[in-house]
Amino acid sequence: MTSARRAPGRVAVHLLLWGYAVVALLPLVVMLFNSLRPTSEIFTAPLGLPTSPTLDSYLRVWTDASFSTYFLNSLIVTCGAVLLGTVVSALAAYPLARYDFFGNRVLGAYFLAGLMLPIRLGLVPIFYLMDSMGLIDSLLGLTLLYAASGVPFCIFVLSAFYRSLPGELDEAARLDGAGEFRIFGQIMLPLVRPALASVMLFQFVPLWHEFLYPLVLLRSDEKFTIPRGLSQFFGEYTTDWSALFAGLVLATAPLFVLFVLATKQIIAGLTAGMSK
Amino acid sequence: MRRRWIAGAIGVLAVALAACAPGGGASDQGDKAGTDKVTLSLWSWRVEDVKAYEKILAKFEESHPKIHVEFKPFQATEYNNILATGLSSSGGPDVAQLRAYGGLQPLVEADQLLPLDGKVEALSGFDAKLLEGAKGHTDGKIYGVPFAYQTLQVLYNKKLFSDNGIQPPATWDEMIAAAKKLKSAGITPFAVAAGPDSTWTLPIVHEIFGNARYGSTAFRDALVGGEKKFTDPDFTASIKLIKDLEPYFPKDVVAVKIPDVQALFATGKAAMYPTGSFDLAPVLAANPSLEVGVFQAPPPPGSPVTTPVTPGWADGSFGVNAKSAHQAEALELVNWMATPEFGQLYATELKQLSAVPGVTPSDPLLAEMAKNYAGNGAPYMLLVNFRYGQPNGDAVFRDEVQKMLAGQTDPEAVAESVQKGVEQWFKPGN
Amino acid sequence: MPRWRVLAVFLLPALLLYSVFMIYPLVSALDYSFFKWRGIRQMGFAGLDNYRDLLSIYPYDQQLWRAFAHNALFFVGTMVIQNTVGLLFALLLFQYGRGRRFLQAAFTTPYLVDPLVVGYLWSLLLNPTFGPVNALLEAVGLDSWALPWLGDTRTALPIVILVNAWQWVGFPMLLFSAALAGIPAEYHEAARVDGASAWQAFRRVTLPLLTPAIGVVSVLTFIGNFNAFGLVYAMAGSTGSPAGSTDVLGLLFYRVAFVEGGVEAIGRSSALAVLMFVFIFGVSLLATSYFRRRERRLV
Repeated sequence: MTSARRAPGRVAVHLLLWGYAVVALLPLVVMLFNSLRPTSEIFTAPLGLPTSPTLDSYLRVWTDASFSTYFLNSLIVTCGAVLLGTVVSALAAYPLARYDFFGNRVLGAYFLAGLMLPIRLGLVPIFYLMDSMGLIDSLLGLTLLYAASGVPFCIFVLSAFYRSLPGELDEAARLDGAGEFRIFGQIMLPLVRPALASVMLFQFVPLWHEFLYPLVLLRSDEKFTIPRGLSQFFGEYTTDWSALFAGLVLATAPLFVLFVLATKQIIAGLTAGMSK
Repeated sequence: MRRRWIAGAIGVLAVALAACAPGGGASDQGDKAGTDKVTLSLWSWRVEDVKAYEKILAKFEESHPKIHVEFKPFQATEYNNILATGLSSSGGPDVAQLRAYGGLQPLVEADQLLPLDGKVEALSGFDAKLLEGAKGHTDGKIYGVPFAYQTLQVLYNKKLFSDNGIQPPATWDEMIAAAKKLKSAGITPFAVAAGPDSTWTLPIVHEIFGNARYGSTAFRDALVGGEKKFTDPDFTASIKLIKDLEPYFPKDVVAVKIPDVQALFATGKAAMYPTGSFDLAPVLAANPSLEVGVFQAPPPPGSPVTTPVTPGWADGSFGVNAKSAHQAEALELVNWMATPEFGQLYATELKQLSAVPGVTPSDPLLAEMAKNYAGNGAPYMLLVNFRYGQPNGDAVFRDEVQKMLAGQTDPEAVAESVQKGVEQWFKPGN
Repeated sequence: MPRWRVLAVFLLPALLLYSVFMIYPLVSALDYSFFKWRGIRQMGFAGLDNYRDLLSIYPYDQQLWRAFAHNALFFVGTMVIQNTVGLLFALLLFQYGRGRRFLQAAFTTPYLVDPLVVGYLWSLLLNPTFGPVNALLEAVGLDSWALPWLGDTRTALPIVILVNAWQWVGFPMLLFSAALAGIPAEYHEAARVDGASAWQAFRRVTLPLLTPAIGVVSVLTFIGNFNAFGLVYAMAGSTGSPAGSTDVLGLLFYRVAFVEGGVEAIGRSSALAVLMFVFIFGVSLLATSYFRRRERRLV
């Protein structure tokens, strides 16, 4: 496919892409290295090779902080929120993008509005809302909040993708007598699958890291999510750096797995698009 | 293929929601457990103190067998919000660590705390300067039992001093001469940070070197009384001291952060560290073999106050939630926190200066700081008196001093900005 | 025209979830801006007092406009650097052979790390005393280039923009990749048969067809940049060090609402959030309808 290109240009492209890959990954190596160094060493020399690598910090994170519990909680909350948020958004974005009905524009703007505000602003009212619903110190409360927070972004991106699909698709199906839900489920949804994968990934990551709401809404240790658990290493004047780095490595690792799975979906969508 | 994917997604969602469901109403089981033991929830911003508090509170539970105390620390930077919301809801704390001075007022003004006047007898024996930090600004009532105070002074590396033939300076000129000598020997004389999130130490550096220069407590009183302003030549001269000392700070000081200077000092690359008593424990934890000494900065020429000063302030206090379901037990706990037993435990376990009268720190350096404060104590003025409105006096001050160090403003303009900022809410005479 | 029942099934779940857990709390927060506050206790109606305070009290009056200007620069810089590079990577990778998946993954990896951690890691790398970036510059003889990056009022904001682009470049890349894959192969072939050069084919065929994706990326960049917080906070602290040269609206909000913690904090910070919202929402609506019109013209 690239045979038409001249050789020097191709070398430059290779150099650029692989060179940047190094820049993209290097700082993460620092994180990995520091998780293997004791805190006193990080304190005196924040950067350096792990001369005598130790897994102490991982042990400390696993035992002092009950990391496995935090991990499970994070998984439940984030997966639950991303799935719920994506499902309701995939449904709602479809008519917003492809039906012409009264109030369409207003509703679109209504959903867009949620994107514009810093999540921190809602802190006090969200706390009272949760308190009145008995959802303080509850993973369900956090899940619902996170799911709702992803809705504006999902609808915004997905409706752009629904809109880009050719209009003949659903018209032909409608002529064949297919119902609206069949058109949606069997024609539209499969076509936006790459977008679904990206939208889920881009919701998942910030929710996985979010620490303010677990800090304010969760009270008991057995309900903590990972960021809430890791906040125990941030002291007022001292920070347990190596435990923190170990926790961060453990927290980030599943995102890599998820990401590899998500790119598979995106690639599948890409090849499907090309073979058409 | 596609259907399996969606079915799987829905399945996981169902499992996830089912797993969360029991979380709803399960809190607050402690009281229903059947025993007549009461569980108190104690909130704090000191995540690094969990183990020490477990030890301290175990002593309390020995003498108060019917009370169990649960220590719950939160990340310091977010603590204020967590506490403000937590105090107003179910499942909040019974006893909580409270910020001092201005930081306490939002809770007082919202009636979220129980006034302790007449309920904690031992408070009458506390130092009035420290109690000031636990009082409501408008009603003058006491809302907390002060737990610690901080003092400001210069820490120095004894070995570097003796290697370079330097004594702790008795005069300002001696200090400058020592700094020059150290600098030419390739050692950073003063470990000072003015970088991101480190600017809150700039008012501290200013207090350490400039408190005597601006006139210490007398100037503070004149300022609060409305007889003087921040634009006073003495105050401006005290700001200029920071600029004069800049050549002896680390290179590119505006890019240097607190952990950087802690490391410089702990590893013997910097000789003097102007800082608070709170920094002693972290520095020694990083390098336990470091030989540290303490001196009070000598008053610079032209100072209205001619003896060295140790500025300080009350760090915080323990107060009772006005909505606590166990107020009697909570009061028992804060009463105990005002006893020498608690004070001594606190000072030993946490290496901090206890606010309880009569408690002496076992650590010789802390003991020296405590002695200096008792003899020549002065208020850290911007924190103690000028945080009762927005903008905070010290917030404007630190931004402007950083600007000065970046070469964008001068001492006169810094003083004018502080005056202008504080004037927005500060009314002299109260 | 679908019946209302079909519409309800599609729209109601999202509407319910979103209205209860997002709109209700956010509208309450907006409501807060019109009241007087003592700590967390709501007092009487204050009208526009909180807004007046924000616009007239020193130093907010100055910080507000400075932060606004920095957000604008942040947006322009990100559009020029991050989104152009993202598009370039998407185009280069579109026809790239072996290693494409690895490269895509590598470019997106920084996004997987918390912005607070990214900021911290880069401040270590850029540290003037022990940071490897300056060590490298000095090693190759570029001593005069070894600046105190985050400690210099001229370089701090550009550095933050670059690090932000470093973290986020995978986002436009993935969206553009998905959009490129959605362009039917016939279009590319048609252009090639016409004998158009690669650049001409890109300008006349690919770029116009990418309009919806460009619209999405631009609006999301705008919203993201005007709400920027985590990375700037980690690299420049809550005051936008040095000397406020990296101060943005997100930091100003954080300071007013949380750091300085005065008794009026809730009212004033809500007022600031309302101002930010009105501006961001207004511009985003205009931008979306602009891109929607361009899309229509394509079809």
